[in-house]
Amino acid sequence: MRLPRILFVLGKGGVGRTTVSAALGLALAARGERVLVFEWTVADPIAPWFGLPPVGPQPAEVAPGLAVANYDLDEALRAYFVDHLRLRLFYRRIVHGRHVRRLIRAAPGIAEMLFLGQLWWLTTLAEREAGLRFDRIVVDAPATGHGASLLDLPATLSGMGAGGMLGLEIRRVVEMMSDPEWTGAMVVALPEELAIDETRELVPRVTERLRRAPIAALVNRSVTRWVAADGASGALLALGQRLSPEARGGLELLHEELSARARREGELRGLLSGATREGTISIDEQLAAMGLQSPGDVVRAVAQRLAALEPGSP
Amino acid sequence: MTVLHVLLGAGGVGKTTLAAGYGVALARAGGRVGLLGIDPSYRLQDALGIRLGDRAVPVPGAPGLSAALLVPGDALRRWSSEDVEDRAGQARLLANPFFLALSDRLASATDVLASVRVAEWAERDPTLTDLVVDTAPGLNALEFLRRPEQVEAFLTGRLVTALRWLAHIERKGSFSAVEAGARRMLAGLARIGGTRMLLDLAELLSLVQRPFEHLLARLGRARLWLEGDDARILLVTSARDEAAAATAIQTGAVLQDLGMGPWATIVNRALPSALGRELAAVGQEATTPEVAAEVRYARACATAQERVVAQVARLAPRLVVLGAGRGLDGEGRLEALAAIGEQLRVALA
Repeated sequence: MRLPRILFVLGKGGVGRTTVSAALGLALAARGERVLVFEWTVADPIAPWFGLPPVGPQPAEVAPGLAVANYDLDEALRAYFVDHLRLRLFYRRIVHGRHVRRLIRAAPGIAEMLFLGQLWWLTTLAEREAGLRFDRIVVDAPATGHGASLLDLPATLSGMGAGGMLGLEIRRVVEMMSDPEWTGAMVVALPEELAIDETRELVPRVTERLRRAPIAALVNRSVTRWVAADGASGALLALGQRLSPEARGGLELLHEELSARARREGELRGLLSGATREGTISIDEQLAAMGLQSPGDVVRAVAQRLAALEPGSP
Repeated sequence: MTVLHVLLGAGGVGKTTLAAGYGVALARAGGRVGLLGIDPSYRLQDALGIRLGDRAVPVPGAPGLSAALLVPGDALRRWSSEDVEDRAGQARLLANPFFLALSDRLASATDVLASVRVAEWAERDPTLTDLVVDTAPGLNALEFLRRPEQVEAFLTGRLVTALRWLAHIERKGSFSAVEAGARRMLAGLARIGGTRMLLDLAELLSLVQRPFEHLLARLGRARLWLEGDDARILLVTSARDEAAAATAIQTGAVLQDLGMGPWATIVNRALPSALGRELAAVGQEATTPEVAAEVRYARACATAQERVVAQVARLAPRLVVLGAGRGLDGEGRLEALAAIGEQLRVALA
């Protein structure tokens, strides 16, 4: 599968974007790439999965070849004005001043623009200016509403008549987002009702904004390898006969849940069919249920599954 | 006084379904209830099975409950048509690039406008007993809680005064009235974003004098409401999702820092607690790999739930464990929602 340098992992909240991002990072690192997973979240969950403290805005290695960084607006501003533009005094006097800082905190869009600007920098000048070299960046994007808005941002800002430094940044980011070798998106979906509704809206939106289809879709927590399309086997109901009525009720619920999920998976596959460049990859629910203890184990197992699907090396 | 219920949590834990159900249950218990979705993915419509928009509409089958979405463009246009009287000003406002971006393009505008919308609802309907807010997943919901203070600080600050000055002076052709410090900031901003953008921003701020005063008043009220005793933050997590539990723990810590500690933690979709114990005691007769997989799945679910409940038990003064329900498909959706919401209402009462 040919992947762009920056890969946005998009999807509804709770579908497993972060797990998939970390797993992709691990799979790509295993074939020898230097990978950065770039998050935008309250506190980084990935490094703790590898037994390390949460990372901050500076890229930190969590496994061989795999670094993680968590976006932070203040640090992005500092890096842009001080490290990149070498305008330390301007940064201290104007950008970091109380009033302009308030504008930056209050105005929607600025944090998103700097987020994209950092991705541009990380894939162009970061090696020369900061000694940071990554072959690939996996972006663990915010959940659908906010995540898809990131893809709209270059067009939005282009229409705002910005000049100065921002005008240049916007032109750079537009170029980055429109180049299929530079950026692309992958959509993570779940065979659950609200998540399917959201995927139905997200895939065309991504396609329209990027003017190209997502590279692939990932169906997370798939059960169809062991649950038939018309429902679960009844084994849980049989097992329930040997338990108390209360516990039996729990197994009946799980039986129904699995059956519903298998049915919805069919619906989801139909909806994704032909909607992405490379098709649909499934990640089996059993990865989470085979006695694997920690999210880190799940990430490693998902990475193995993804690596198996990636023929060849870069 | 209206009680504000804000549901927060990772994606996929069932916030939207719970918010909708809670709204239905509070209304059926005799309340006059508002239900507001501020997640830009608009999922509240799917949960209720009806179309929603900027203006609150009654929810069929739930007397006393009305629901709305925060649709930034519609809300902004409505506010400006209510408050900007002259038509030339209206036209300039609707064509202002910042106004357009805020209206229809930037999902993060919802984080800023949500608190304004919340305050507006309570202000327009003083008989409202409860307002239930369904938020975007994770970090963005925290922005909703944090933004009022940040936006207020900016809007009342010196830079806004200077920008307004600029809009006015731009027409008069003189710059000397602006004091030196403010002039330096404006020059700096022009260097960053160009002159035209700065003038557009200045124009926006000068056009919206009255909506602006309203906005500020509402931001202030929203902030006081969120910080006071009538706001209840409900931290939602899913019984079998350890990643969501981790998010709940992080969110809880941030909330404590903001002085808005959660009122209750909700563990959603729990299996009966007896299940884990009893499953551990029975032997497994796996006839086929598929059967073995199902049984293993059930055991893993029960084990995960035990870990999740232990991890989140102390995040808030109240812990509610809600049993998993049947799906919400098709017929009887509202009754299913009401049943889920009633479980929550009784547990929190």
